[in-house]
Amino acid sequence: MGAAALLSAAVLTSCGSASGLVSTEQVAERQPTGEPQSGGIIEYGHLQEPKCVYGGWIQENFTARQILDSLVSQDNDGEIVPWLATDWEVSEDQLVWTLDLREDVSFTDGTPVDAEAVAYNFDSWLDGGNGTAAAHLGGFYEDATAVNEHTVEIQLSAPFSPFLSTLSQSYFGIQSPTALENRSAEENCRAPIGSGPFTVQAWESGQYLEFARNEDYNSAPENAKHQGPAYVEGIRWSFIPDNTSRYGSLLSEESDAVGEIPAVNIAEAKERFDFEQYITPGRPVVINLNTEKGVFTDQQVRQALSFATDREANIESAFLGTVPFEPSGYLSQSTPAYDAEAASEYPFDLDRANELLDEAGWTERAEDGTRIKDGERLEVLFTYGLNTIVTPDGNTAIQNFQEQARAAGFDIQLRPLTPSENSSGAFSGPDAYDAQVGYWTSPHAGILNINYRPGTEEAPNGANTTFLVNEGVYETIQQALQAPTSEEVAEHFSDAQHQLSELAPAIGLYTQTNTIAVSDSLAGVWLEESQGSPVFHDAYFVTDESGADKSDAEESTEEEG
Amino acid sequence: MTLTPSTVLTEPLQATPAPPPSQSPRQRTRPALILSLLLRKLGAAAVVVWAAASLTFLMQALLPGDRATMLLNQQTGQVQERSAEELAPINEMFGFTDPLLVQYLSFLGGLLRGDLGVSYQLLQPVTTVIGDQIAPTVILTFSSLAVAWAVALVLLVLTARRVGWVSRLFSGFEAAAAALPQYWLGIILLVVFALGLGLFPVVGGEGLIGLVLPALTLGIPLAGFLGQTMRTEFERTLDEPFVLTARARGMSDTAVRIRHVLRHALLPGLTLTGWAIGSLFSGAVIAENVFSRPGLGGVLVDAVNGRDLPVVCGVVMLVALIYVIANLVVDTAYVLVDPRLKLTH
Repeated sequence: MGAAALLSAAVLTSCGSASGLVSTEQVAERQPTGEPQSGGIIEYGHLQEPKCVYGGWIQENFTARQILDSLVSQDNDGEIVPWLATDWEVSEDQLVWTLDLREDVSFTDGTPVDAEAVAYNFDSWLDGGNGTAAAHLGGFYEDATAVNEHTVEIQLSAPFSPFLSTLSQSYFGIQSPTALENRSAEENCRAPIGSGPFTVQAWESGQYLEFARNEDYNSAPENAKHQGPAYVEGIRWSFIPDNTSRYGSLLSEESDAVGEIPAVNIAEAKERFDFEQYITPGRPVVINLNTEKGVFTDQQVRQALSFATDREANIESAFLGTVPFEPSGYLSQSTPAYDAEAASEYPFDLDRANELLDEAGWTERAEDGTRIKDGERLEVLFTYGLNTIVTPDGNTAIQNFQEQARAAGFDIQLRPLTPSENSSGAFSGPDAYDAQVGYWTSPHAGILNINYRPGTEEAPNGANTTFLVNEGVYETIQQALQAPTSEEVAEHFSDAQHQLSELAPAIGLYTQTNTIAVSDSLAGVWLEESQGSPVFHDAYFVTDESGADKSDAEESTEEEG
Repeated sequence: MTLTPSTVLTEPLQATPAPPPSQSPRQRTRPALILSLLLRKLGAAAVVVWAAASLTFLMQALLPGDRATMLLNQQTGQVQERSAEELAPINEMFGFTDPLLVQYLSFLGGLLRGDLGVSYQLLQPVTTVIGDQIAPTVILTFSSLAVAWAVALVLLVLTARRVGWVSRLFSGFEAAAAALPQYWLGIILLVVFALGLGLFPVVGGEGLIGLVLPALTLGIPLAGFLGQTMRTEFERTLDEPFVLTARARGMSDTAVRIRHVLRHALLPGLTLTGWAIGSLFSGAVIAENVFSRPGLGGVLVDAVNGRDLPVVCGVVMLVALIYVIANLVVDTAYVLVDPRLKLTH
């Protein structure tokens, strides 16, 4: 793949294009020789601690990205580029994917990264080893077989167009089958064995994860900025839950980079540091309406609530303009096949909301202004995981929403849930809420299949949190997943968004974003494209400080998907 | 500046807090006294720890929602209902589907064997989880206590019953300090001394220099409590006849304060300390969070959020045990401080 040419090009011009990466010009400015330094330990401050180093949660995805290689990667244009797989093809009926693997890669325990290993990983994900992997591929995956030492065949039961895009996520990082087989669940959870640029050296619960450089690393994805081992010797990945402390540790130079910049600090962070914002593709942060029980079984009532509030102004004020408003309840604006027209079908229109409610028979009003129909008040039980799904700023947005919806006659009762309540299942079924807040990251629009496939007795779909059962929508999504060309895929997904918009089972609020701020002393950090995980493999410390003029720092160009 | 009491009080000596009931009029030998005290305390400790463990177990087990669902959802970052198939391996692993009584008995059986179980979330033995994190919390707790005592004593000896406004001013300071919310104080200290002046690290870690601000965060409000509690007793003791006697012997004011008066004022402070140690342990989470310190506070919060029952029970039992031990130590300290307890044999 022309590694030498790639290396120099990557170092000098950085990654370019539509990425959120802002450091491009500064890197060049600080590094007139273009020679990255080797050595040093990156101090990185992160908000949440994962349960395991790898797994099905986005926090686990961030850490897994440092130690596991995936089969393919996505570059900043969303193109699939080689990683552990150098080449791939799909059969005419789109049911068999054949992937050719690199022949010179080993896991850090010495096991070769071969076709057997890849097949083993597929089986273990789908066999309960990774709930998120199963949510993506379940219903499509049949089996994986090693055709020869470096060629693996994945057999599907139905065509699945976003297959490669799915595999580019760190949820699908390849692990050593020897380790999976012979070590305990705990050992694999805390220090999985991959072939990535770093290995887990230590994990002090509640404090930090220590990653050490994999000295033999030779398998960076094609869109990496250099091949070979990481420049730095390691990463100390600290968990700093307090916003003031985390951002403060960057100001005091105790951290070289920190994630999850608080909204109030973003303006300053853009001035003083290399600031990157990644708009997560997939389902944005939306209000899911229960279409199976309660007031929202009536489509007109759902549409009325969608029209009833000025969400754009709300999000602007709640997040101080730092997080984009997302009108779509189905896909975020950075997702391929996002349909802006379908997304904009519910602007703020209080008159229209009132009309719809009148038509739906909610004509009377109680003394407090709440609408009444057949003696029943238009009450909405609205649940959301506070500080897990929804940040404190998001909480403000939800309270604004509650207040604004009062004008149309909705009496919204907010019920913030503790982390344990939220994940316990007791607040998840059709009897548990009228409205609920959720998001789901995914690099492709196939997320609609996860969120809107109707659950059945044999195959319940817990991820369908609106409980919508609609044959038309389901079939359109299946057509998109099975379409042979990307144009057709986009066409069908666009159609599905229009149908969903008409049915109005969800209301868009804001996009999920990842942010990172990097000090001037560190260059080459980037956020990968599929999930926005920070990548430290290409990062290096800058010793020459003369070129670093903070006032000339380029402001962020936010990513457009 | 010498003190001139305006009134001569003739209060009886019993004005100091009543001595512990163990001081019976019947004369006992000292070892017997201590042994009986110890046995009763140990019995009480066992009951307190058992009750704390059982209550925590029941509360955590009976909260709405399914534990296996929760574990699975937390691993995947989802909030959905799960199928029986998905849950079966987790239920199997932790025995969640056994009758509650069976779970409780096996939990108690484990306790008797010294086995606190395995963390649902971290997949590590609870003893390991606690063992890894206890040292920083103990260090923080006792540093805070030391800070609190030092500040309280210095202010007390220097300012109590001095010129009216000085005494009132510092008494007011103490009241204000006692009322300071720890989280707010922590953030202020962080912003001023770590971010603003750069005197201390923002991320505390385990080093000595990183201990200063967290210890102040917890120590300052406690100093307020201690100072307020001791000041009343201190000022009353200053009016005792023996103080006048000591002064008449020509003892300096500071010597009178430190050698005679302070001894009386220490008793309510000691009583408060027994409570304070337990309270500091549970308050540690705030300082640990703000200053990104390791410790049990963070472990407990994570465990409660994840309903990690074995870890929650383990930490709760530990805190209960610490309360009991602290009070035992305080009772012993009483004997040392109050000479009247020595007279009983």
